[in-house]
Amino acid sequence: MDKNNIQETRLSADILIVGGGIAGLTAAVAAKEKNPDAKVLVIEKQTAGYGGKANKGGGVLQWFDPQMKADDFLQYHTPAVACYLGNQNVTKKYIEMNNDMIERLDRWGVTIPKFKIPTGPMTFMVGIDLDNCLKMRNTAKKLGVEIVNKVTISDLLTDGDKIAGAVGYSIVDGTFYVVEAKTVILATGSQNYRIQPMWSCGRGDAIAAAYRAGAEMRNCEFGNFSQLYKKNTLQEWVFCENNMFNALGENVTQNFRRFPEADISATAIREWYEQMSMGKGPIHLVMEGRQGGLSAWDRPYGVPFWDADHGKAEGRDPELEMCPGFIGEQSPLNVDENMESTIKGLYGAGDVSYCGSGASGAVPAPPGRNRGSGILNAVYAGILAGEHSAEAVKEAEAPKACEGQIAKYKEEAFAPLFKEEGYRAIDLIDAVQKVVGPVEYSVYMSEYRINIALRKLEKAKAMVGNLKANDLHGVLECHEAEAMLLCAEMMFKAALMRKESRGWFLREDYPVMDNENWLKWIIVKNENGEMTLSTKDIPIDTYPVGLPRF
Amino acid sequence: MIFQNHTIEFDPTNCVGCKMCYQACFIDVIQWDAENKRPVFKYMNECEHCNYCEVSCKKGCIKVIVNWESQRFIQSFDMYK
Repeated sequence: MDKNNIQETRLSADILIVGGGIAGLTAAVAAKEKNPDAKVLVIEKQTAGYGGKANKGGGVLQWFDPQMKADDFLQYHTPAVACYLGNQNVTKKYIEMNNDMIERLDRWGVTIPKFKIPTGPMTFMVGIDLDNCLKMRNTAKKLGVEIVNKVTISDLLTDGDKIAGAVGYSIVDGTFYVVEAKTVILATGSQNYRIQPMWSCGRGDAIAAAYRAGAEMRNCEFGNFSQLYKKNTLQEWVFCENNMFNALGENVTQNFRRFPEADISATAIREWYEQMSMGKGPIHLVMEGRQGGLSAWDRPYGVPFWDADHGKAEGRDPELEMCPGFIGEQSPLNVDENMESTIKGLYGAGDVSYCGSGASGAVPAPPGRNRGSGILNAVYAGILAGEHSAEAVKEAEAPKACEGQIAKYKEEAFAPLFKEEGYRAIDLIDAVQKVVGPVEYSVYMSEYRINIALRKLEKAKAMVGNLKANDLHGVLECHEAEAMLLCAEMMFKAALMRKESRGWFLREDYPVMDNENWLKWIIVKNENGEMTLSTKDIPIDTYPVGLPRF
Repeated sequence: MIFQNHTIEFDPTNCVGCKMCYQACFIDVIQWDAENKRPVFKYMNECEHCNYCEVSCKKGCIKVIVNWESQRFIQSFDMYK
């Protein structure tokens, strides 16, 4: 590529959707159904319909008992899972839309077999086949949604406090894209630091772009989802935390779980850490009495993928040793009940803004603690963001893209390609992974260990702005590596501030939930290049479920 | 994960250049050689063995060989010993 002769393409749309996974495609379809005249453009870094996580997971959807009232679920969920940190209005609306969403998915071509198994109090799982995003892509195309693949969005354009569009580049030929849009919906997933396979596509570029543009972040400290894995093959182990045994043959699940509850918990990771620290490791699964066998799931598209994945791993973990694996799922874009961020016209749908929406309280993005809640949450947020922006563009004036912003972002986007020398993106990613990966830093925290993590990140910062890429794949990697560093910094700074334990968030030095001082959201914001942290009181008195009176 | 070492066995005999494997790759490991209408498995050390290219290939041209030992697990086991 010639530095002085970079090809440029200018596009315009009423609604620009960044990300072609389940949230982005749902938003596109919902927007088109609400306002068929709106020009809706989806830009996807890889290939729409194949990107994202909804087509790579266990193929399950959370489903609520239709006999159940949303308020009853809130009575369970608020103290047990959200730990009073959620926006209960969002949670309630999500539950109430449950059946409507499943009907809509059916209408949009996504098959959902009507078979269910219980996963926790008042929740079930139903199957969803892995071609769900492909079906949504076909529906979107039929409705006239335009899709551009292999283009990554690197930064957002703003006009005062409003969104004006976005810029990015083709990872195939390096063409620079400028997209003017009245509204932008970010649907690029959570930050997962490229650690675990299925989650590897969530690299936080849009979280970082929104942060740079001045959007507020909320619940950054809940970016530490992890679960138990088979030690040799690193395959996720569903339901194994119900049957954890240490080297002395003691059932250690009993130490942290006394009654049936949501199936994934940070306390299982803490138990692993404590057993290992006491020298009672390794920790094994004992099959006897193991709950939850998966069978009779009619998902023909997905079966060959699971067969390939599990088949290759078969027999490689004969000793059934388990170990915790950090995933991430940081989803902090702060959005209101219509999924609009603090920048007017900028929305977040799916795992980019799950914790930021307050949907589920003190847990990381789905599955959080309820398996199967990820896809339906993405559908929920996609519908709200799509429909709301479809209304908004009817009145909004065409934005004015600032040429100064465009020129600056263009230079920054390609800078690593024209460096004579510098660090490799992989060096920075490696440094960040070594900080977020060990669960004693990121899941079972303490002030001492958080400070070690922050010092290591500070050292890694020296590489930012000094990365060198050899090709466009490398340019993209540089851009992603910087987003990973930024997200890790947000997580640990917010974690240091929250001096309590609440839900998924565990501090060894502050083990108790402190409703007197910490019934607050931590807000992270970029103010003139400085990362600032503040708190916002949770309006618990306005919600259906208040604090316990004793 | 990074620094993995999985490999792909690609037999081009039956390849029809349908691009399914290229489209199915969700993290840009597979590039497309437009001239020869063939996939290029260019960034194999980033492959996450999701198996989508292998399963999506209608002609059975692709086999993902997982190198389990090369997967890096970022958890410090040694400190507990």
